[in-house]
Parts: sequence; C-alpha cells; structure tokens
Amino acid sequence: MLEFKQPARWAIAACALACAAQGQLLQQFEKKVTEFTLANGMHFIIVERHDAPVVSFHSYVNSGAVDDPSGDSGIAHMMEHMAFKGTSTIGAKNYPEEKKAIAAVEHIYDQYDAERNKTFHADARKLEALRAALRTAMAKAETYVDSNAYPRIIEENGGAGLNAETSEDSTEFYYSLPSNRMELWFLLESERFIDPVFREFYKERDVVREERRMRSESNPQGKLVEMLLATAFAAHPYRVPAGGWASDIDNFRRTEAVDFYKKHYVPANITIGIAGDVDPAQARRFAEKYFARMPAGPLPPEVRTVEPAQEGEKRVEVEAESQPFLAIAYKRPDDRDKDDAALNVLSDILSSGRTSMLYQELVRDRKLALGAFASPELPGGKYPNLFVFYLIPNLGHSVGENEKACYEIIERLKTKKVDDETLQRVKTKERAALIRKLASNSGLAAALTEYYATQGDWRKLFTEIDEIDRVTPDDVMRVAQQYLKPETRTVAYIVPPASGQEHDAAKEAK
Amino acid sequence: MIRRLLCVAMLPLGTLWGQAPAPAEGLVSPSSAPLPSYKNLKFPPLRKITLPNPVTFELPNGMKVFLLENHELPLVSGTALVRTGNLFDPPGKQGVADITGMVMRTGGSGGKTGEQLDAELENIAASVESRIGETSGSVSFSCLKENTAEVLGIFKDVLSAPEFRQDQVDLAKTQWRSSIARRNDDPGGIAQREFAGLVYGKDTPYGWDINYVNIDAIQRADLVTFYRRYFYPKNIMLAVYGDFDSAEMRARIEKVLGSWQYGPEPAAAFPEVVKKPAPGIFLAEKADVTQTFFEMGHLAGTLRDKDLPALSVAADILGGGFSSRLMRRVRTGLGYAYDISANWGADYDHPGLFIISGSTQSKYTEATFKVIREEVEKMRTAEVTDQELKTAKDSVENSFVFLFDSPSKTLVRMLTYAYFDYPNDFIFQYQKGIAAVTKADVLRVAKEYWRPDAFTVVAVGNPRDFGTPLSALGSEVHKIDLTFPEDGPAAQAPAAPQAIAKGKALLGRVREALGGESRLAAIRDATVTTEGTLQSPGGEVKVAQESLFLAPDTLRQERQMPFGKQVVFSDGKTGWIASGGKVMDMPPAVVEQARQQVFRQLFWLALSDRDPDRAIAAEGAAAVRISGRSGDEATLELDEKTSLPAKVTYSPAGSGEVVESYSDWRDVNGYKLPFAITIQRDGQPFAVLQVKGYRFNAGLKTEDLAKKP
Repeated sequence: MLEFKQPARWAIAACALACAAQGQLLQQFEKKVTEFTLANGMHFIIVERHDAPVVSFHSYVNSGAVDDPSGDSGIAHMMEHMAFKGTSTIGAKNYPEEKKAIAAVEHIYDQYDAERNKTFHADARKLEALRAALRTAMAKAETYVDSNAYPRIIEENGGAGLNAETSEDSTEFYYSLPSNRMELWFLLESERFIDPVFREFYKERDVVREERRMRSESNPQGKLVEMLLATAFAAHPYRVPAGGWASDIDNFRRTEAVDFYKKHYVPANITIGIAGDVDPAQARRFAEKYFARMPAGPLPPEVRTVEPAQEGEKRVEVEAESQPFLAIAYKRPDDRDKDDAALNVLSDILSSGRTSMLYQELVRDRKLALGAFASPELPGGKYPNLFVFYLIPNLGHSVGENEKACYEIIERLKTKKVDDETLQRVKTKERAALIRKLASNSGLAAALTEYYATQGDWRKLFTEIDEIDRVTPDDVMRVAQQYLKPETRTVAYIVPPASGQEHDAAKEAK
Repeated sequence: MIRRLLCVAMLPLGTLWGQAPAPAEGLVSPSSAPLPSYKNLKFPPLRKITLPNPVTFELPNGMKVFLLENHELPLVSGTALVRTGNLFDPPGKQGVADITGMVMRTGGSGGKTGEQLDAELENIAASVESRIGETSGSVSFSCLKENTAEVLGIFKDVLSAPEFRQDQVDLAKTQWRSSIARRNDDPGGIAQREFAGLVYGKDTPYGWDINYVNIDAIQRADLVTFYRRYFYPKNIMLAVYGDFDSAEMRARIEKVLGSWQYGPEPAAAFPEVVKKPAPGIFLAEKADVTQTFFEMGHLAGTLRDKDLPALSVAADILGGGFSSRLMRRVRTGLGYAYDISANWGADYDHPGLFIISGSTQSKYTEATFKVIREEVEKMRTAEVTDQELKTAKDSVENSFVFLFDSPSKTLVRMLTYAYFDYPNDFIFQYQKGIAAVTKADVLRVAKEYWRPDAFTVVAVGNPRDFGTPLSALGSEVHKIDLTFPEDGPAAQAPAAPQAIAKGKALLGRVREALGGESRLAAIRDATVTTEGTLQSPGGEVKVAQESLFLAPDTLRQERQMPFGKQVVFSDGKTGWIASGGKVMDMPPAVVEQARQQVFRQLFWLALSDRDPDRAIAAEGAAAVRISGRSGDEATLELDEKTSLPAKVTYSPAGSGEVVESYSDWRDVNGYKLPFAITIQRDGQPFAVLQVKGYRFNAGLKTEDLAKKP
C-alpha cells in the first residue's frame, strides 16, 4: 500500500558519493567482495551483507538469443525453460525408464521429420499415424515425471523472487533464500547445469509458444519492437526476437536444445553472484563441492556477423487495433565503445525525470505525447545496437506530429550545447542509478555478474562513474551529431488496420 | 522468462527460527565425496531477527508520528499517509482523487511552480511525491541526510499548502484522456477492468470506469475541495525512516508541522461493498490477439475473516505457485497457457476479489475454462494431498524472513495496521493460523466460500478462433461493449490517422465552397445582423440581434426583444450581461457558451485543421468532428453536392443536443454565406433566423466591444 521509495533514497546516496572520493567507495566495497575462479573456469563473486539472514543468488550465462542457430530461433529461451524441468534425480520417478521413454519419443519424432522432409512425396496417413504414436510415447514418458518438482523444492524452502530471463545477450537465473539454506542453492543450481534431462520438452515447447503469443502477438507494442528490430538489422542476429519466431518454436527439437546446452553451458561461460548473509569461505567450499565436478569446455565463439553500414532511412508500419505508438531508432556502437558513457548521458538528458527534454517539451508544454522516452541500448549491448526514442501520442495528436517534434529536439542537441546545470544533474542521477543497484542483495548479485561477464571486471560498475563524470557538453553534442543521423535511422509505428493514409500522416513529418 | 511465484497470501506467515539441527558439513574433496540428495540436506538454525521499535507520538494538532532510525546509509525518507481515496470520488467526477494526488505535487506549492520544485529536488537527487490510491493517499519524501531541512520544507508545503496551478490541472486532464483512449489496447487490462466492474458493479466506486465526460467535468475547484476535505493533521499519520536522531527529528517535525492547524469534520467511512453477484460469461471481442485473456471468480472477503488462513492455503494449492494444480494441469500438462493463477484477494477493510486469471491460446479457450471449473470442483469435493498442504504451508513459513529483511518493512507494516485498525501482531496471528490449517479446513472453506456456479467469467479474445464456442459451457454468453460511451466532448476513441486525413480533406472542401482558405484566413472580425423568432416557455418571441465577433474568443451581442434590450460581452475568459439598466458578471457557464459561439462561426470553424489547439476527425462520409480546448466541440456536416455546411451539431453544457441548419446561400464579396439559419434543441424547433447582413474586418477592437451600455 505504501512504501519508502528505494530509487530516490539511493539517488541521495549518489550525491554523497559525488562528494566523497569515488575511489574510496570502491575500496570500501572491495573489502566485502570475495572473488574466485574454479579450475573448470566458473567464476564466483561473493558480497557480504549481514544485515538480515537472507541471501540472493544470480547465475549469468554469457549466451543468449543472439547465439540461437539460424532456423532454431528461441532455443536459448527454450533451454532456460528446460533448466526448471529437473534432473535425473530431481523430478524423476524412475529415471532409467523415463530415459528410455524419452528416447522412444525422439525416435518417433525422427521418423516423423524424415517423412515430412519428403515434402511432395510425404505420406499423409503415415504422418498422421506418427503424430498419434508421438502423443502416446509422450504420454508414457510423462508417467515417470514428478511434475514441477524443481521449483517446488525452492518454494517449499522459502525461495523468493524465483525467476529467469533470456535476453539477446544472456540467460540469467535467480532467486533468494533464507541464508541458512545456502547449500540447497548450490545443490540445485549445480544439478540443473550439470545434469539437465530435458523432460516434457514438447509440452514445454507449447508453453513457450504461448509465452510468445502473450508477449508479442497479443501485445501491439511487442509487435512493434519486433518489427523495429527486424527492419533495423539486415544481417546481425539482433534482428531476431529473443523469444524466437513462431514457426521456429513450433519445429525445433530436443536435440537442438541439448546441442545449445552443450555448447554454451560450459563453466567458463557462467558467472555466479552471491550477495547477502554469507560466509565466503563456506561458499567457496560449497562451490568446490558442487560445481568443480562440472566438466570444463571451450568457450563458445562470439557472433562474428557484423551488421553492414545502413545507407538510408528505413520505415515500417505495423497494423494493430491500438492507439498510435512510435519508435525511432538510430544505430550506435556496442557498450564497450568509448562513446558509451556520452550516449548514456544523452539518453538521460532526453528522458530522465520531469526535468528531461522529452518530458518538458513533448509531454508538459506541447502536450503532444502521453509519454516520451529515450533508451540508449536495444536489444542488447554486446554488439552494435540501437539508440531508441519511444513516443506515445496524446489523444488527438498523430504519430507524424510527434515524429516531427522529436526531430526538432534532436536537431537542437546537435547544434546547441547542453548547459552545465543540466549536465551536472544528469551526472548526479547517473551515479544514483548505478548506486541504486547496490541497494539490494539481488540487485548486487545481478549487477556484479553482468559487469564481470560483459566488461571483464565487476569494478567497472564503479569506475563507469568516472567515465560519465568526464563527459562534456561537447561530447554530448558530438555523439548526437555522430549517431543520431537520418541515414542510420529506422522508424516504426502502429497504424490502425487497413489504413492507406497513415503513410501521408507520417511522411508529413519529414 | 518463467512465471513469478506467488506467496500464499499478501501476508505470509510461518517461522524459520527454531528449525533443524546444525549441519554436519565437513571439508571434503570435491571429486570423491558422494553428493547428498536435496532431501537429506541439513540446515543450521536461522539467525534470529530483532524487530525494530519505532518511536511514536502525536502532535498537538492530532497528527500521529512514527519514527524509526536506521544509520546504514546517510538518508532520510518519510511518508504521510492520509485517510482518503478514490472511493470518495464524487459521482460524475470520477478521477478527482487521482488528479488531486497528481497535481498536489506538479501544481506547485510554497510560491514555487511544480517545475521549480522539479529542478530543486532533482539537482540534489531528492524527491517529494504525492498520490491518491483506492483507500489511501500519501505524500512522501526522500533525501540525503544533510538536505533534510530543505526537503522537509518542500514536503510540508506540498502536504499542507498545494497551489494547484491551472496549467498542471490541464496537463493532468490531457494525460487522463489519453489514458482512457488507450485502455482497450491491452487485453489483460480489459479483462481486469471488466471483471472488477461486473463483480463490484459499474455503478459503485469499486467498479466504475472513468470516462471522458468525468474528466472533462473536473475543474480546479473540485481538486481544491477534495484536497481540503481530506488533508488535515488529524487525518494523517506520518512515518519517517533513516539516518537521524529521534529526539532531534521529533523537535524538527513539531516545528515544521506542529503549527498546521486545520480540522474540518472527520471524513466519512469508506463506502460499503454491495453484494450484487453477476454470474455468467462475458465476452469482449478483440480481433488482433492470438490468446484469450480471462478473469473469473467472485467477491472474496477481508483479512479479518477467521477462515483467511485456510482460504489462502486453498487458493495457493489451486493456483498459487509452480506446483499448484492449475499450473501443473493447464500449463505443464496441457501446454494451453503460459500464465495461469488463482488468488484469494482479501483486503483490509472491504471484500477483495477471488480471481482465477491467465491467458490461453484462442482455440483452447473453452477447454481451458472447462478444466479450471473441474479443478475448482475437485477442491470442493476431495481433500488435498499431504504433499500439497506441506508445500503451501512450508513455502509461506520459510519465506517469512523476507518480510523482515529490512527494518523499513516493519515500519510500513506498523503504519498500515494502525491505518486500518488492525492489531500490531496481526502478522504473527496469521502465521499461527496458517500453521494450524488442516486438509479438512481446506476442503471446508473451498466448499463454503467458493461458488463456481456464481462465477463471473470475463474473456477477452477473438471468438472466431475459439474452435468450440463459449456457449458450449452451458450458459448464455453476454457481450461486453468496448466502445467508448458517447458521453462528452470528443468522447470517442481518438481519431485514427485516416479519420484525421479525411477530416482535413472535408474541411478543405468546405473552405473552397465558402470562398477559399486565404479569404477565410483573412477574417479578423465579423459583424452579423439577424432577425427571427425564438421559442420560449411563454411562447414565440421575436428577436433582432447584432453579433460582433473578434478572433479568437471575443463576442459582443446586442439583442432586442419584446421585453427590452440585452447586451452581452465576453472575451472568452470573463464577461458581463447588461439588461434592464443593470450590469452583472457573466457566470462561468455562460462565458463558456459565448466562447463556444465564437468557436462555431462557420468561416473560422472551417479553418480548424490549421489550428494546433484543435483536433479534427471525419465522422462518416461527410461530417467532421472538431474539438478545441476543453468543452469546445462541434460536428460540421457537409452538403455532399455543394460542399457547403449543411448543419453544425453541438451540446452546450447543461443542455441537450443543438443542431443549426443553414440555407439560403448567397454570394457576398467573394464569400458564400448562409442567410437562413434554423436551430433545433433536442429535436424540437427552437429558433428561425434570417441574416440581414455580414460585414468582415470592420476593424473591431476589444476595448470598443467591451464598452458597457
């Protein structure tokens, strides 16, 4: 019903931080951190916070949807779901029999695929018979399953915030436990990474398909972002939705998920964050006991495809029974680029708080938009990506008016330097945002693993502040000029079904 | 991403301390040691938490204060909890509470505009925010310790002396209108809204919708009235948390807030929920979705119910976590849904909602509903298993510690209990209650409280893809109308872009027919003389009048009637009426009407698409709806052949629909203008007027027009 607002509280801490020497803060924080790497390459970062007897865990697998093989989009996400399906000892009623039953399912499915691959010469009756056989075999395999045992164990032990997510760049698993139950996490997490059995695969595939229906297909804004990415990127796999395309989901096989697992779930590709009421020496003993047995494997390669330079604006419209919505995206470099800090500052100047440009101009003064936001990074940061503006037109105002007004603001950023007060405010807030991540065990565990995996060192979480502090008004103007260029722009917007005239409305803006 | 786990209830229970014996965890070499099964793990006892003890006192003006020190970070934050809520929205002006909560902060205070406060606070990364929800309002702050005095000053101003500047009232209303326009975009949101509306009743504060007409009716004065009714010291509890010394903070609060003396009559109790079951299946059609989003259930109870623990456990077993029955059957077993859950939504002071909700592939809609009904029935006819009861009880018990992992949570809980008049140890009573729940209890409450026959079922989806129609479930399917009520200016769904484009084209034709855009745009003032008859309650009345219009908002009318002469003047903001030798101020409603009369003048109305303050949209083949600033709205209908305006329709405040029809078109100095005007009110003849002459650009000046007779 009411709460003390964490973000703002931390915003203040950021201010304190600004005044204090930042190096000192990192120094103090380092005292609480224990870091080690197992012989098989798995890395652990442990933060001690003893305020309450609780502890949060975060597993960061440095592979995501961007690593889905072509034709099997969504397989990284499917693997995430499979990680909740248990192991040969968890969720199994009779694993030896279940193993045979799963093999039987796969054998029939192989035959089915083989028949289907005959295309013109495929025998419809045989296909139908195989489908029926498949259903029977699946039903048999299910009889050996103690359904949902894995999450049930976590629930029974008081697990909080249990969840997982698959993004373009990563797959992450997390929850919190009362701190006396830490060993349970080590046991469960190591088991699902070492001994997953991929049970109930095709039923879960249906669930994943439903998830896509819910998030993208029945959600106009979900559709729009999907089309924005598919239009903006010609070659790079960022063009493919993180959840996969519907037809890929309908057809991928258990073998493909197993292949993905073998290639990407290797210890050196996984970073573990633990934050809370934890004895690091004991955590290390548990790590050795439970995770050292995981066999080492070579790191998977990064994506080698480089998006070719965009040479001209692209536009896409999505028909949906929805109020208008507009996204304008510009190509930008990856988050390891030297301009990353300036782009973050630019995004804050545009859309952080009631003092931001987009709010003041489009929402408050001109009342063109119900909401207007900038996001410095879509759909991930590991590879060159998109700086995006989202505009939600107000009742009676068009996509075209909003687009035009947005370009006016962008033009001003390219020609006029931001004033010192604005820049200083934004820097204070950036520090605040960074520090806010330190306010909770789960936030810490997540941030430290992500920084280690994507920036090479969790300390970057702190040193990033210095980079932001060095951003000047010239830098902001320069990155606006360099990246917010019409020829690298992709514009996507929602139009009502069967409209021929929106073209004109939107083009007016140009 | 997987579904979030739900706790047994909003107030979980159970205890962790006093658990299993100490561990026998030895140092073993990793490769050789056999790993334990999760079943055999032994956990050490959980370290005990000491509950914080807030300082409480009451200011002489009646405000209750709770202080809790926490020195981990150099921060101070606070919340004033106000006994109010949108349940007190005056009928017809639904939305007042929400807008009041918004504009208290954005509309400025202490002589500063909201924008000034934004900059002051954001510069030091502090915040002061206000809001009004269903059963409470709040003003909160947070800041760095050293800014406490400054931020507490702003907090006090926002709480005790908000200024509600008009521009922010307008902005809040604009935002609200756009939100209304978007409320049918999200199918899950539709299901939620319609379910609550049906179960609580759309004519009650618990279930009604906020429509354009409600927002349009809200004026600044309504916010001031609402604010003054509920924001006074005795009606407020203040909690402050963070890095301070309690004695010093107490002195500071006494100084800053102690002098606030204001106390109207105590506010009324929240309205009662009236039980009006609405069993049946209700379908809202949405063509562009591949899933059906649904909510089904009926009223639940309050947190005071003695059976609350058993009801929470029962709902959890049905649809609480991953191991719930609905999850196992509908998601894991059948693959019909990604999201499905059940919740016994008890509330503090009024019955909440028992809801089973989720989304399912369109073609399995009927099948999913059937399975849900079966699972509810099973809960009502047979006991749950030992394992199910254990999972439900353990998950609550073992996660109990997370309710206490920050001292601020205890403070918030204390405040909440005080606000709703619950015992301080309510959470521990509940914990005991859960521990005592048996399988027989679960069966008993499922039988007694769950009424599947009386379920209200709301489905939002595309029935063309349902496969089996919902009528197969054996009861009538009622359609939910998602169109927006025709209830006020621009009260329809926002114009689609093609409607705007078409509207522009139509207005373009009108302009051409009237004499061309440039000629119309050149008109700065107009004098129109008319004669005719009016229908009055006493019979037909002859009238002769001269109307002087000066763009954009000014009007002077001199009217000769049998009982004397009347002169009126308005500049769109104020005005006067002179009659029988007396001059009186024009009432605001009449000012509105005068401004709207200027707004409707054909030669200017035809230029509406050039005015950024106006929205236009085609309606049907040959009509354009034009909306200006609040309240100004008219629909212009074309004669399809001549493209000349045939009629203009509008609805003045406090009156029905008015239709003006035009004929006897004549050429005047290159313009085409109507010389006969007939006016109908609510379908009845009201006036017939002949125009004697038009004169444009006579050089009218406001000061001349404003001269009193």
